Amino acid sequence: MKKLLLIPALALTVFLFLQATSKEANETTIVSVEFDNEIPAHVKAVIDQKCYGCHNAESKNEKGKKKLDWDDFESSRKAKQLATMAKINETLVEGEMPPAKFLESKPEGKLSPEELQTLLDWSSGKKRAPKQ
Amino acid sequence: MKWGTYLLGLLALLLLGIQLVPNELPEVHIYNSGDLIQSGLVSEDVAALLKTACYDCHSNETHFPWYAKVAPSSWLVAKDVKEGRESLNFSHWEDLNLMQQLGKLDDIAIEVDEGRMPMDIYVKMHREAKLTDAQRRLIVAWAEDTMDRLVEASEAYEDEEEY
Repeated sequence: MKKLLLIPALALTVFLFLQATSKEANETTIVSVEFDNEIPAHVKAVIDQKCYGCHNAESKNEKGKKKLDWDDFESSRKAKQLATMAKINETLVEGEMPPAKFLESKPEGKLSPEELQTLLDWSSGKKRAPKQ
Repeated sequence: MKWGTYLLGLLALLLLGIQLVPNELPEVHIYNSGDLIQSGLVSEDVAALLKTACYDCHSNETHFPWYAKVAPSSWLVAKDVKEGRESLNFSHWEDLNLMQQLGKLDDIAIEVDEGRMPMDIYVKMHREAKLTDAQRRLIVAWAEDTMDRLVEASEAYEDEEEY
């Protein structure tokens, strides 16, 4: 009788453990504030889609190019990259990019909440564990 | 002649009237524990330049000229100092994190290099704030050098933490 109870008890324990582990894997934890020389692929994907159009070396948008040129970013020195990230973060927090005027004619250019969070996390300099 | 006198009188009345419009100048604090120059990041010659060319608007140590107490110029002074402190306040330098400090230093280098700062209207009223090309180069070099030094220092700190 006691042995029979053991099996469901064990199953319940294992089940509880599984709950705990899958939950942990879903949460992002800040691993370190170390600087990564390369932009992570999931960040780069957002940049390419939502920022690069105006912020590139050949851009006809002179102001956009002058303020931030992604073609220039990875080749610049570390301090400059971090400075640029800080300014990107400030701009995004203030909600100034992409510009409201630009979005009037191109509403699909708006950052989704997930995309915004991706850029905010990256530009804050905090390295997060990748989602599993 | 009579009309001219009336007009002058009216103008004088108007000037007196606008003095009553409330206008608050940003507060002045001489002692600021988080000040940039006190943080030891600035050489003496650069500190002197920052004090004369930047600190009136970009710190809590504003020296208000007499026309800051007279409308309508007081309105402009109040607005410029307020906005200047909002975008960069050297008195609160230590409150910024490393990334923010780097961003501000990069902005300083760009604005000073391209001649946008100090603002034309400020330099017109404060001839001593006019920067020569050599002085501009000095500030730009200081800002860029300080960016690298801050990054190196933070890396050294991180290495130490690992042991």
